[in-house]
Order: sequence, then C-alpha cells, then structure tokens
Amino acid sequence: MNNTNEMSVSFSSNAQNESFARMVIAAFITGTNPTLEEVSDVKTAVSEAVTNSIIHGYRNNTGQVIVNAKVTGRKIYIEIIDYGDGITDVKKAMEPMYTTRPDEERSGMGFSFMEAFMDRIEVESEVGKGTTVKMWKEIGTAGRQFE
Amino acid sequence: MKKYDYSDGVLIYYLPKELDHYAAEKIKSGSEKVLDENEVDYLIFDFRKTTFMDSSGIGLVTGRYRRVHDKGGKVFVVNVSESIDKILMMSGIYRIIEKKDTKEDIIKEMIAGGYYE
Repeated sequence: MNNTNEMSVSFSSNAQNESFARMVIAAFITGTNPTLEEVSDVKTAVSEAVTNSIIHGYRNNTGQVIVNAKVTGRKIYIEIIDYGDGITDVKKAMEPMYTTRPDEERSGMGFSFMEAFMDRIEVESEVGKGTTVKMWKEIGTAGRQFE
Repeated sequence: MKKYDYSDGVLIYYLPKELDHYAAEKIKSGSEKVLDENEVDYLIFDFRKTTFMDSSGIGLVTGRYRRVHDKGGKVFVVNVSESIDKILMMSGIYRIIEKKDTKEDIIKEMIAGGYYE
C-alpha cells in the first residue's frame, strides 16, 4: 500500500498569511499522529521560513509563497518556495543571530529555529530568482527514550 | 481588548494568542508611544494568552528590552506556558530577562524592595 500524501498551497506574501500557512501545515500533518509538541515544532519552522520569504524574499515587491508538503508514514517533507530577491550568502544567512535587518528588530534566529525544530533543513537560493527551503522531520522519534 | 497597561513606572504588555511577525509588527507600531512618553522601571510581558510564538516574538521582546534596560529598567516575562518556555529558552533570552510565574510575584518583590515608598 502506498501511504504517501501530498499537498500544495500558494498564497500572496502578506504577513496575515503566516498564520494561514501554519494552520494548513498543522492540519496536513495530523495523519502522522504527532504530539502537540511536534505539531508546534513544525508550525514554528514553517512560520520562520514563510516569514523569511515575506520580509526578505519579497522585501521590495509582493509575490507568491508556495508551501509543498509530503507525508510518507510518519515522515514529513516540506518545501517553502519564493521567487523573490534570493540570498547572497546562504552560509552567512544561516549563522545564528545574523540579520540583514537589525533596524527592524529581527532576532536573526529564523534558520536556527528551523534547524532546531526539524531533523534537517536545506536552503537553495539564487539572487534575483528566489529561495527554496526544504525541511524534513520524522514524527515519533524525538524523546521516545524518555517514555 | 487592552494591549498594555501602564501605571507608576510599570508597563505590562498583554501578548496575543499568536505572536508571529504579523502580530509583532502591530504591537510595535501600536504601543511604542507609551515607551516614548513614560518612564518605565519595570516592563512585564504577559504570555497568558499566547499559544504560539516564533523568532519574531524574540525580536519584539529584545527590542523593548534594549530600550528599557538602557534607562536602568528591569524586564520580566510572566505566565509562560511550556511551549513558549521552550522557545524563550532556546533563544537564550533568559540570560537578560527573568521569568516569574505571575506579575504578583514581581509586585511583591517591588514592595519588598521599597519601590512604592
């Protein structure tokens, strides 16, 4: 039996849509039978990536943010795609506390949170073309030894 | 719904259910005036309603911390749930900001320290 499930949503880069993206992903991963904490982890990671697309990717214009997700058994794969400005130096952008916008009180912790809350993340970016953040997480693996 | 409360040098922000970038921007633009117009000795972030927060919330709290701390004020977080506590802990914010169970705990300390005398 093939138990893979996929979904895709696209929305404009308005800040109100950050909560929409979190709701969609939380609903979609219900089938993996996650704990509340695991749902919260995934929502936070998605929120960080979508916020990055909105405030950095589309800082100069508006555009579409795409969230693709796939669930296979208890494995979750998520992509957040934008066609915005792109990131000049991905390695630097992923350093903790690094921000291009300290004036706007950005904490510079977005990528650190994504890494902390997911099992693995990858970032592909091209200046002028956009950014794709890929994230993986297997539900039911963290904290099992304590149960 | 009141977003903040100010009296006698004590400013309390009542944070929203979801503290993301969208909400943080609204709080910043809406209630920055109170920090400009008043002397704040104690700044308290009340998380009683908050069930979700991401790094934008950290930016909001540290931004306000800087303003108040520069003038010798103290900053606290209260009514923090387990999931919010996890985010605050990961951010390292507890190195500069203290967590208390409730605002009454802070007021007790202020009274004991002679703040209202």
